[in-house]
Amino acid sequence: MKRKVSLFVPCFVDQLLPEVAVDTVKVLRRIGYAVEFPEDQTCCGQPALNTGYWGDARPCAEHFVRVFKNADFVVCPSGSCVSVIRLFYPELLAHSSLREDAAALASRTFEFSEFLVKVAGVTQVGATFPHSVTYHASCHGLRELHIHDEPLQLLRQVDGLKLIEMVRSEECCGFGGTFAVKFADISAAMGTSKAESVAATGAEFVTATDPSCLMHLQGILGKRRAPTRTIYLASILAQDGLAQKSSAQERP
Amino acid sequence: MAQTSKAQTENPSRERILEQIRAGLRTVVPEPPALRSGQVIFEPINNPLERFQQECVGNLMECALTADSAASARQLAKVLQSLPEGEAFVQDDPALRRLIELAAPARPIRWSSQGAPGEASQATVTLAEALIAQTGSILVTASCGGRGASVIAPCHIVYATVAQLVPDLASALSRVSQERKLDSNSFACVISGSSRTADIEKILVQGAHGPRRLVVILQTVT
Amino acid sequence: MSQTAAQRFLHDAAVKSADLMHREIIRRGMDSYDVAHLKGRARIKDWEAARQKCQEIKREAVNHLDRYLLQFEEKVIARGGHVFWAANGEEACTYVKNLATRLGVRTVVKSKSMVTEEIHLSPALEKAGIKVWETDLGEFIVQLRDEPPYHIVTPAMHLNRGQIAKLFREKLDPGIGSDDPADLMAAARRILRQAFFAAEMGISGANFLVADAGVIAISTNEGNGRLCTSIPRIHVVVTGIEKVIPRLEDLAVLWPVLATSGTGQGITTYGTLIGGPRRPGEVDGAEEFHVVLVDNGRSQLLADAEQREVLHCIRCGACLNICPVFRHVGGHTYGTTYPGPIGSVLTPHLNGIKEFKHLSYASSLCGACSSVCPVKIDLSHHLLQNRRNATEAGATKSSERLIFRAWRYAMLRPRMYALGGWSVRKALRIIYGLGLAGSILDPMRVWNRYRSPVPLPSESFRARWRKDLGAN
Repeated sequence: MKRKVSLFVPCFVDQLLPEVAVDTVKVLRRIGYAVEFPEDQTCCGQPALNTGYWGDARPCAEHFVRVFKNADFVVCPSGSCVSVIRLFYPELLAHSSLREDAAALASRTFEFSEFLVKVAGVTQVGATFPHSVTYHASCHGLRELHIHDEPLQLLRQVDGLKLIEMVRSEECCGFGGTFAVKFADISAAMGTSKAESVAATGAEFVTATDPSCLMHLQGILGKRRAPTRTIYLASILAQDGLAQKSSAQERP
Repeated sequence: MAQTSKAQTENPSRERILEQIRAGLRTVVPEPPALRSGQVIFEPINNPLERFQQECVGNLMECALTADSAASARQLAKVLQSLPEGEAFVQDDPALRRLIELAAPARPIRWSSQGAPGEASQATVTLAEALIAQTGSILVTASCGGRGASVIAPCHIVYATVAQLVPDLASALSRVSQERKLDSNSFACVISGSSRTADIEKILVQGAHGPRRLVVILQTVT
Repeated sequence: MSQTAAQRFLHDAAVKSADLMHREIIRRGMDSYDVAHLKGRARIKDWEAARQKCQEIKREAVNHLDRYLLQFEEKVIARGGHVFWAANGEEACTYVKNLATRLGVRTVVKSKSMVTEEIHLSPALEKAGIKVWETDLGEFIVQLRDEPPYHIVTPAMHLNRGQIAKLFREKLDPGIGSDDPADLMAAARRILRQAFFAAEMGISGANFLVADAGVIAISTNEGNGRLCTSIPRIHVVVTGIEKVIPRLEDLAVLWPVLATSGTGQGITTYGTLIGGPRRPGEVDGAEEFHVVLVDNGRSQLLADAEQREVLHCIRCGACLNICPVFRHVGGHTYGTTYPGPIGSVLTPHLNGIKEFKHLSYASSLCGACSSVCPVKIDLSHHLLQNRRNATEAGATKSSERLIFRAWRYAMLRPRMYALGGWSVRKALRIIYGLGLAGSILDPMRVWNRYRSPVPLPSESFRARWRKDLGAN
């Protein structure tokens, strides 16, 4: 009987970056997990939470808890969504009848890289990616979930991958959700600084634990016509060196 | 009670502010668990003299070890000779009277009993209440020649003994409390180097409004 | 029509975000701080224990604020000092102004105090015909430029030496030839010397008010604060009520932590303790000692169970230094006395949530501030709480409230959510297909102003799942 995980796919990944989730599934299956995707899932509530509309975030959070209540593990390819579930659901749902279910669920919800390393106990996932890669330490994963080393442990085991450290890897890329639109100039300036740090490494790819960072960075890099491409962590680990085109190269 | 009613008429906001504070504090805020006792925040100081000397270097302070008062006097004379002409302000204390007599500097001395130092003072010479190894600091109070003595002149010279060395800030402050130094003095200061600024381009400039040189003549035998 | 604070902020942020020279100056300053800060932390054996200890000290002080303030006041008065409690900035300014006028003060020398900025003390004194000299080098520089401090610890970090030299030549002495920082400091020292000796009143702030000893504690490096509190015959301290700490021994950890967080030093050059006017027999010192305790909205924060800890702030500036928003827009953009994360949390409380909520929104919530605060204030969380407070106070746009109402409706209905997503992608495909990316018809036009458009996938993940990914 295979071990089972339930996949939570952030709304923007579902709609705009499906490859992120496809590759997450691929890797989880490769290391021996059966993956379920409860189709009633929608959003963790982060946009409403972050904009201050906790009254609107609350029912969204309750819906999430109901959908995933019976999951053995919830795995999500986004540190920011997981931090909402683990760190903010207790506060958000303090007066809800689902309060205890939420607390229990929070302890079984993991960001992709921390699940692999801390729960599944693997760092070698049989990946091949003969390219130079630099790592951006996405803020929520870093500071709220305390994910420091796990992504690097995974990347170091990838065959042929050359890991290059960037300066100020822990400085925010500037996405910040609605911040990117409400304070567009600041967001773009922060993204530009991050793009410069990336460019200084000369790496072919930049990766992170949050695909939202990468979506924002890819836009900035694209506008600058920079050669570096963004690639989500699972998409690197999904590369198994077999014949097919890598999904990275499919990306424009 | 005269004080209180005076305050009420001259400072009516006092009661209002206190009332607002008390009202605010009626809201109970849960407190997280306290620090486990015995947690060591600072590395214990095993060799205070060595540590003090190391810190002096980092603080851009000069520390000269001397064996006796004759050597201290020679050191004092040497420092004073290196400075431009002009008076030296000296804390009026028997130990410093003796030291100055031994050093016999060729410049006018203004004793603290004659008044505070001014712009004419090229150097000030004072005792200290204690030396602090952890941070390479001297602790002075108003009794050490006054407030200006450690800040007005371009060079401040401190005459101290190794017996005055305490390991850390905690013990120095504890001593200040126990000996009620702040009841008998309106002023105290922990000084850890020459004055400095980094306000321009974050570049360190030694010697701002206070002394450019802080010299400690540290006598090993009292 | 005059701009709101939010409009001004957006405008200034746009200007500064594009200013590459400004970014480079700040980048260099902050890089140097980063290195110094890490070195400073390495000197402390257990940094996390130090933070926790400082948090406990400040929590104890603030949770018993009345008791410790009264203890402090009693000791100061017993030594012949005066304590004045000011409900707001106006009362504080009036007290100092009246004191100065009554005692024939014509010149004041001032050392750095953010509270005096908050209450606009200098303009109030100057209106009464009193000349005020800022003596901290950074404050001296921005005073000459007639602008507010850029940063609470390094007020002039936005200027390079060339700009400062030019300023000195124009305002002080055309003979200043060099732009070397040491020479510029020497020029400032020379000019300010006369002020120190001529001034009848010295005004300082206080980093801490030590309750059991009844003294103020000031942490400085330059010596100007020492001179302001040694030479003039009247010494006035202007401080917030929250600065109190219980015991003198608390400084054993607070002093090193403040210095480490502020500048990376192990301790500041001068840790000054003053408890009253000069005592009989002392060589020098002020003849009169006044402490002005300023409330100005602080006591109201006590009642806020979530955010009372914001009063623990020791004004070290570490959160400003680490904040990526601060690093890109700089201190002046905030348009408030206190910039950076602490300013963004505090200002809506002190100056009104309606007018200043935008500061709490102008953050990506990266959490760096919380991670670096030496007294462990969870600043990032408070920014989020301020946002919640703003919506609950009805201070946000009704159009936004409606958008989230609709969002919530959709998020509770999986099929509607899926359909909504599909519709948006379809619409974007059409718009981009017509070459209208970035135009008024493009819902992503703000995004697309600075970024190449997000490539649109043909299918959502859930569609892929249904189609061919379901089997394990």
